[in-house]
Amino acid sequence: MSLLIGVKEAEFTFIKEKTNATAGNLSVQVQKLKEAGYIEVLKQFKDNYPQTTCKVTPKGIEAFEAYVKALQQYLQVGK
Amino acid sequence: MSDSRDLTEQESLALISNMIQKVKASHHDTGITSLMWGTVVTLASLVTYLQREFEFKIGFDIWLIVFAAIIPQVIITLRKRRQIKVVKYEDAALDAVWLAFGLSIFGLTVYQNIVPYATVTLSHEEGWQMVKHYTDGSGKPDEILRPFPLSIYSIYILLYAVPTLVTGITKKFRYMILGAILSYVAFVISCYTASKYDMLLGAIAAAFCWLIPGIIIRRKYLAQRKADV
Repeated sequence: MSLLIGVKEAEFTFIKEKTNATAGNLSVQVQKLKEAGYIEVLKQFKDNYPQTTCKVTPKGIEAFEAYVKALQQYLQVGK
Repeated sequence: MSDSRDLTEQESLALISNMIQKVKASHHDTGITSLMWGTVVTLASLVTYLQREFEFKIGFDIWLIVFAAIIPQVIITLRKRRQIKVVKYEDAALDAVWLAFGLSIFGLTVYQNIVPYATVTLSHEEGWQMVKHYTDGSGKPDEILRPFPLSIYSIYILLYAVPTLVTGITKKFRYMILGAILSYVAFVISCYTASKYDMLLGAIAAAFCWLIPGIIIRRKYLAQRKADV
């Protein structure tokens, strides 16, 4: 989510490369985020190869902002 | 080995920050587009100026190379779309700015070519025409004049600055910011100069807006590619 929040859309391979996650692990995460409605997943073919593109939804942005706010509040309380 | 433990709040924030930095660092502009358009517009403007300054003709309209450049641009765009793995908001916005710029330039070209003929037609319908009348006491007879948009290339120079400044500020690329500022200066000067010098000013503006930044971006890109190998 941290990676996707700053971009319009990103390919699965890009996310995999940047997060250093395995394809299997990342697929599970993507599926969970999709089921929660936090990201949109578009599967298509590009040059005869399957391509998966992920995009954060407005619900995902809202949830991420709430998460960051909660983190900030927690850290401020802890100071 | 997988690490399934929960992250602490500090680790979560560090991870978010790290991912945002990775996205920021993922930009790889090849510089080809800036280089190509910079070369084409600088060359066309410069050749137009030279033809008018030294009164010679090259035998074809040099501005046709600008239209010809649309073909490689389409190929570059299609290849880029195939290769691109991430679309950043700022890149999408900048693409929109450059698209609007391209359409505006096209619109201005249409205006430049249609308005003189439309003016002749409209003035004929109203029963008048434009005449060049000499006031230097030479006694030369009046000449019928086809209307033309005065100092139109100044408007092109003004337009060159717009997407360049937006890109320069967004990407924090000072060479493009400088190019845009120079373009605005060239625009002001061109308001006072004869149209052949506007062409020279346009060539300078295009060189500083796109050609030089394009060379710098290309060199950076090639150096980075070499480092990645």
